[in-house]
Formats: sequence, C-alpha cells, structure tokens
Amino acid sequence: MGWENWIISTFSRSLAYGTPLLLGTLGEIYSERSGVLNLGVEGMMIMGAYSAFTTTYMTKNPWFGILVAGIIGGIFSLIHAFTSITLKANQTVSGLSLTMLGLGLSGVLGKGWEGKPLPSTIPKMIITPLNSLPVLGPIFFQGQNLIVYFTLILVPILWYILFRTRIGITIRAVGESPATADSQGINVARVRYVCVFIGGILAGTAGGYLSVAYRPAWTEGMTAGMGWIVIALTIFSFWNPINGMLGAFLFAALYHLSFRLQSYISPELLKAMPYAMAIIVLIFVSRGNLQKRVGAPAALSLPYMRGED
Amino acid sequence: MISAKKWRFKIEERSSVSNSRVLLTSILAILAALIIVGIFFQFYGVSAFKAYRLIFSGSLGSRFGLAEIVRRAIPLLLCGVGLTLAFRALFWNIGAEGQLLIGAVAATGIALFSKLPPFLLLPAMFLGGFIGGALWGIVPAFLKVILGINEVIATLMMNYMAIYLVEWLIHGPWKGPSARGFAYSDPFPPSAMLPTITGTRIHWPTLIIGLVISVLIYILIVHTKSGLEVRVMGENPEAARYAGINPLKVTLLVMLISGGLAGLAGVGEIAGIHQRLLGPTHISMGYGYTAVIVAWLARRNPLAVIFTSLFFALLITGGDVIKVSLGFPSQMINVFNGAILFFLIGSEFFLRYRISFIGRR
Amino acid sequence: MLTGKKITVVLSILFILSFTLASMAAEYVPGTPLKAGFIYVGPVGDLGWSHAHDEARRICEDTFPWLETVYVESVPEGNEGLYIDKLIQEEKCDVVFTTSFGFMDGTVMAAQRHPEKILAHCSGFKRTPNLMTYMADFYQIYYLNGLMAGALTKTNKTAYVGAFPIPEVKRHMDAFTIGVKETNPEAEVHVRWIYEWFSPTAAKEAAEALIAEGCDVFAFTEDSPTVVQVAAEKGYPSFGHYSPMYDFSPDYVVSGQIAHWEAIYLDFLAKVYAGVYKAHNLADLDYWWLLKEKAVEIGAKPGMLINPLFEDDLKAKKVNDPVLGEINVYDLVMKRLEQMSDPSMVFDPFNGPVYDREGKLRVPEGSRMSVYELTTMEWAAQGIVGPWE
Repeated sequence: MGWENWIISTFSRSLAYGTPLLLGTLGEIYSERSGVLNLGVEGMMIMGAYSAFTTTYMTKNPWFGILVAGIIGGIFSLIHAFTSITLKANQTVSGLSLTMLGLGLSGVLGKGWEGKPLPSTIPKMIITPLNSLPVLGPIFFQGQNLIVYFTLILVPILWYILFRTRIGITIRAVGESPATADSQGINVARVRYVCVFIGGILAGTAGGYLSVAYRPAWTEGMTAGMGWIVIALTIFSFWNPINGMLGAFLFAALYHLSFRLQSYISPELLKAMPYAMAIIVLIFVSRGNLQKRVGAPAALSLPYMRGED
Repeated sequence: MISAKKWRFKIEERSSVSNSRVLLTSILAILAALIIVGIFFQFYGVSAFKAYRLIFSGSLGSRFGLAEIVRRAIPLLLCGVGLTLAFRALFWNIGAEGQLLIGAVAATGIALFSKLPPFLLLPAMFLGGFIGGALWGIVPAFLKVILGINEVIATLMMNYMAIYLVEWLIHGPWKGPSARGFAYSDPFPPSAMLPTITGTRIHWPTLIIGLVISVLIYILIVHTKSGLEVRVMGENPEAARYAGINPLKVTLLVMLISGGLAGLAGVGEIAGIHQRLLGPTHISMGYGYTAVIVAWLARRNPLAVIFTSLFFALLITGGDVIKVSLGFPSQMINVFNGAILFFLIGSEFFLRYRISFIGRR
Repeated sequence: MLTGKKITVVLSILFILSFTLASMAAEYVPGTPLKAGFIYVGPVGDLGWSHAHDEARRICEDTFPWLETVYVESVPEGNEGLYIDKLIQEEKCDVVFTTSFGFMDGTVMAAQRHPEKILAHCSGFKRTPNLMTYMADFYQIYYLNGLMAGALTKTNKTAYVGAFPIPEVKRHMDAFTIGVKETNPEAEVHVRWIYEWFSPTAAKEAAEALIAEGCDVFAFTEDSPTVVQVAAEKGYPSFGHYSPMYDFSPDYVVSGQIAHWEAIYLDFLAKVYAGVYKAHNLADLDYWWLLKEKAVEIGAKPGMLINPLFEDDLKAKKVNDPVLGEINVYDLVMKRLEQMSDPSMVFDPFNGPVYDREGKLRVPEGSRMSVYELTTMEWAAQGIVGPWE
C-alpha cells in the first residue's frame, strides 16, 4: 500500500466527515463570539437531520431538504436565543435543555421514518479534468459534494466578516463588552439573536448533510455526539473560523485513521486521543501571553442587562 | 428588548427573593409545561389526562415507582450536591459524568483485585471511588487556575476520556472470563455488594451518605471559613483577590469534593445496582449531566438538591411509566424534560427581575 | 449498635408495611387470552436487532387472536428487572421476553421473584424452571454469504465490519471466512471493529478504511444499512444484515441475513397457549434455531435468495469440492443451503477439520462444534486479517 493511498484516503475522508463538524463549529463560533454559549448544537443538528430527511423523502429534492434543515435549525436555535438573551437565563442549562428537546422531538416525530431509502440524495461530484491531478485530484475533485465546497468557501468569508468588517467588530464588541457596545448605540440583543440564529442555521445544515449526503437514512439519535465534538472544536479553534477548519479536519482525519490503524493501536486510545489532544493543545497555547490574545470572548455565557432603561 | 414603541416597561433586578416566591413560580412554570406537553400528547393521539394520570399513579402511586424514584435520586443527589459547591465558586463542572465513571472504575478495581478482608471491602471501595473521582476532578481545576483553561471544555473532554477508559477496561484487561466473551467485568464478590431495601433497588447506605453529605456541605458553605472563601470567590472574584483568598486552594478544595462525591455516586451505582463493570452508558445514563440541571434548579443550595434530585428522578421514572403503559417512544421523556426545563428557565426571569408597567411614552 | 443487616431489615419492613402487598399473581391458564411483554435494549427504529424483534412481535399479534403484546424500547442494561416487574405487575403480562445478553442476570433474578410467570431470555445461557433461553443464529447464513463473497472478490480482499469482538460476532466472521476460503483459497477477510451496535458514522468510516485497504466485497454486523450504502457508492457488492437491505442499493446488495424471530415466538407462545410449556418445565428449554427451523433466512430481501444481477458471476466461478466434484458457486450455495435446511443438518460450516489463523486445530476431523463451543468461540479462522480484540 503506497503512501499516496494513505494520504488520499485520509484527506478525502477528513473532508467528508469533517464537513458537518466544521459547519457546526462555524455556527457556534459566531454564537459564542457574540457572547452566547449554545450547548444545544446536538439538538439543532438532529432536528436538521430529521427535517432534511423527511423533506427530501416527500419532495424528492435533497437540496430542498438541506434548505429546510437550515431553517428548522435556525428556528430551533431561537428558543435558546429567547431564554438566554431576552430572559437572561443560565445558558449552560438552556443549551442542555435544547439538546434534550431536539433529541426528544426528532425521536418521537421520526418514528416510522427509519429504514426508508431516500429517492434521491446529494450527488457526489467528479470534476474533470481536475480529478486527474496527482494526489490532489482524488482528494478534492473526486466524490465530494457541493456542500463540502460550500463549507470550504464559507470559512474565509466568515473569517473575513468576523475580523475585517464593521459587522465583525460589532459582533466581537458585543461578545467582549456588551455594556461598551450598548453605549455606542449597538443593539446588543439584536446582534446576539442574529448570531445564535446563524449558529442554528449552520448546525441544522450540518445535520441535513448527515441524513441526505453523508449517510442517507434516518435513525433516531443519528448525530451520536457530534454536537459535543463541535463544542470542543469551537474552543479548540479559539473562536477563529480558520482554526475551526483545521481542528475539524484534523479531528476527522484522526477518526478515520483510528480505523485504518486499528491493528496497531488500541481503538479506545485512538478514540480518546482527539479529546486528550484538545486539552494538550490548550495547555501549550495557554502558556505565555497567548491566552490574552486568543482567549474566550469576555462576556461569553453572561446575559447582558442594561443598567438603566 | 422588552420596551415596545408605545408601552414602556421597567425591568429591575430584585435584591432578594423569598423562598415561597421561588416555589410558587417554579410550580406555575411546571404546570405551564405540563399543559404544553399535554397538547403534544393530544396531537400524538393520547389523551393528556390519561397520560398524566398514568405518569403520577405509576411513579408516585405505586411501591415500585416510589422505590425507583428514590434509587434514581441517589446518584443525582451525590453529583448534584458536589456541583452546588463547584458552581458556588463559579467553577462550571460539566464533568460529573466522567468523575462518576472513574469512581466506578476505582470501586471495581478494589472489589475485584484488592483481596481485602470482606468487612473492609465496601469502605475501601467508597474511599477509592471518592479519591478516583476527586483526582479526575482536580485536573481541570489545576488547568483552570494555573493555565486559565476553560473548565467547561476541560471537564467535557475528560468525560470522554473516562468513557473510553471504561470501554478499554471492559474490552481488555478487566474483561471477565465469566462473561463468555461479552464486554463485562466479572461480577463482584458478595462482600462488595451494597445491601438494598428488600424488594427495591434502593442501596440505602449510599442514600444515607448522600443525605448526610448534603447537610455537611450546607454547613461547610454557610458556617465555615472555607465556605466563606468559596462564596466570596463566586460572588466577587475581585474582592476575593484583595481579601487574600488563594484561588488555587479554593478551586482545588471545591473540585476535590465535587469530583469525589460524583465518584461516590459511581460506587453506589456499581456496588448497589450492577455489581460489575459494564458499558459506560449503562453505568450512568447521563446522571452527571442531569445533575448539572439538578444543582442549578436547587439554586446552588445543597439542601434543596435533595428535593430537586427527587423531582428529576420522578421525571425519569414517570418517563419509564409512559414508555410501558402507553407504548410511547423512549424519546418522549426528553421532550417532556426539555419542555419543563425551558419553562423553569423562563420562570427564573420573573424571579430575578421585577417588571413594572410605567405608562405610555 | 445497629448493624447493617438490622438496618436493612428494619427499613425493608417499614417500606413493605407502608404499602399494601402486591396481590399474588396467578399462573397462566392455558387456552385463555395471553399477554406477552417484550423488552428491547435499543430503539425499535434502529433497523437492526430491536427492530427485528419488534417486527416479530407484530407478526405474533396479527397471527394469534388470543394474544396481546406490549413492548418497552431502549432499556439500559441493569434496568431490566424494573421493567419485568412493571410488565408483570402493572401490565399483567403472562410471558416476558428480554432481548439482550446484558439482561441475563436481571432476568434470572426476576424469574425467581415471579416463579409463577414465564420468562424468556434471548442470547443467554442461564435457565430456571420458569426461564427459557432462545437465539436465532446467523452463522450458517454468513457462511453462505462467504461462499458468494469469495467468488465475487476481484482483489482477493473481502471485508467485514464488526460491532463488538464478542463470540457471536466472531462466530459469524469465522463462518463467513470459511465460506470465502472454500470458493477462493487466495482470498482474505479484512476485519474492523466499531465497538458499537449502532453507529452509522463509525460503520461508515470503518468501511471507508477497508475500501482504502483494497477490499471490494462487504459483510458486516451493525444495526444500520450504512455499510451497504458505502459499498454501493464505490460500486462494490455487499451483504445486508438483519433486516432486508435490498432497497437501499438494488444494484449492489448480493444477498444477506434476515432474521425471523417470529418463528421462535410463534412456536413458543403457541405451546404456552396449548399448555405444553408452563412456569415449571423450562429449565432445559433452549431454542437454538437456525436455517432448518426457518428462524433465519438468506436473501437480499424475503424471497430473493440471490440478487439476479449476480447470478451470472456466481455461475461462472467453478470450484472443486471433494464430495460434490466440480460445481459452480451458485449451485454450491443452493446445495449447501439444502444440506443445512435438512432436518438432520448433513452439513455444517464448522465441520472438522477447522484450523485457526495461528494454525492450531480447533475442530478435529469428523467432529462438529457443540452449541456451547459455538457460543463461547473466541478464535479467528484462517484467512482473517486484522485486530481481534
């Protein structure tokens, strides 16, 4: 087995499995940058997976399914937005509840949908002549789908918005110091609502990717903990979309390798490795002054309450 | 947000909230949630009244239901009490699940391999479980205080590491010959099994430990110097620094206890219910995560945890009842709990803030 | 001083006194309406183990007008005792089936608590006078699938994605491998474990890893159609598991294993109804049902033994059998199926001599494996490549 085989399989699997993780992470980065910790990613994802599957089944159009998944994910996130922004509730508890509600609703509504093959799924693409490029061809241009490319394009766009535009400055200001932002005339609540909503749309889309592209089928609980990996990756990324991309693809590559290397390394060790690595990376990065520059948004998970009205 | 164009409301933070007000608001919130879920039941084709009658008669109204409520409250109580202490110091420990599992691992190791005399076995398992959970708990404490690493992420990550440690043990070195190749440890010797109240699965020694500890933790928080330091650090970190309170010491203390108590919960589950090490999701069923909500709902008061853990145990058991009696999908319990939680969260708002109408603009 | 034992006694008495004693449950009277409860470890929506048991439950209810059933899904191991009690005491079930190996000890204890009720535990080995055991096993089907896989592989690497390294799955891998080796002595069976009964993502990535290793025919044990779908994306043939999976990729599912738990349930419940089986004569009752009892079926979907698209390929491949002479693989599969369906089971995949992959003789010439040996099997057959623990 030549080295190309290892590189091609690792990277192409990393793209395919890393895409839903990345979509979720990008959304959570926006949400947390505005100061709202949303632990409901798992719930929004599974609602997306459920609605994408049923929509695709009924309309025979997987793109419509993905669209609905995004919308449902967004709407679902508004529950968390309402409790944590308007009602200023504890965000950890509200997020955990959202996950519970999402798993529950999708499980109950999804009864009877399992075991049904989809009439059509998101097609895999072969881009000629680029696919004949050595190594890069089979990784990027053979068998990936449009959502993968869309997600890859989204990374620099979201990075640019966050760090190079006024909108981004506004979002970060709200997440760092809502009182200051408020005094400059920024509507803190509105910014946060929008960011949580973006997070919901992307998480819903990630769920849709799972049920109509990655493995087209519906089964209850099919996100199987991906939402929690997203939470880890968000912190791992230091709230930066570019790092989020690296983290998601690194995690996905390790996950794939854990199956290829199963003969040599204990599978439990390999499965635990990404989580251990997240902590180790945090330890290394936290040394010195880096912490100040890359730390969490200062107002993360703190509700904002205006002093005077 | 709240102010509309014409109408103006004033929102003020309340300085203090009376206990009766908390209770009343919580009950109203739960009632509202029950109505919403009832409508959902009705849509699902089941009479809401019938469902609720079954939930309450099946859990509160039967011997088995009551016993199950109590036995499920035990791990929630132990984890929850520890978490109230951690949350008081503003240490967001999401890692009770992992600390519970490590407690179970330590207890299993002692039960199967220590060769201690029988009368020492159970005390050693509880001690070992406490130490195991405490060690697992103080790692993120160190990481937070010394390196500034977010404790939510660190504790969450360590949960997964604990899960895979258990998986590895039951598939590898601790796989029991008596399990015929299945992934379980051997069963414990009889001296490592906790006594239960006959006909139930209430392992009462763990229950008593839990009740005693919730009182002790309450005393620790309210009446000791260490408790004062914890409270000051949680309520005003700046003031704590000026007062010369060592954040490392306080955080370590808090997590030593919080992790240790979760570890005790693991010992109880393994020595009282399962009597062998088995798959992590079968050991715990997410008690560590539910305990986060239990502690929060108790408003970080260790004595109130006794009631909130019973309340959540009631919800879990009620879920079991409708699963059997109405043939509901198992996920219905999550819809139920999720809805109740959101209403409780929402009701917090009306507890913490006073909203008054101040006329047209 | 109060000792632990005393406290236990006192608390227990108090607890029991505070409620009226549960009314003594009566034994089932044959010929009267019967109620059966089913306890599943997973959700019935998993398209695997629990799903198959639930399908069987529905067939039973449709077949017997005197039968009423209830079920509970997603019961964590360690909680089975509670649900058995509930089903018996509140739902008034006469018979309770528990369908996971991990429910064994709890079911045994419940059987002792309810000596007048009938219990049945799937896949275990402990019995009492009112607790029987049952299992519908696939190893013969996996062997037949292996015969086809050996003929269809072009790279001489077939793949098997396994759930947990436990005797049941190892037995199926070994049977599959013996089949592969029979039609293609050069071929190997590459193995990966996902350590979950249900995990679409793990199954997907494990299958992808095996594809990267060069495998081109797929079998698996996992409760979703994932491996079938992954193989089909690359144009590789595969064998469905547990439920009919033909519909998920009609062009690439060659055949597969289909469970018919209803065969066991119908037989047992009919005999309870007739008064043959009672709450005191089950201690030696073990349904270990295979092809000949029709508890399992080979096929891409019920009635389709082999996907017609693959008939020509299988007929084109010829092997030399010491007894049957030169025979094509299609006919060999049919012949073996006939032999194993025969009431006397003239053939079994584990007919000796069988060697493991270390070269050790596991089944001597002229002997067969007992049910005990089959259910505690830990060795890897010759031809298996990959991790084993």
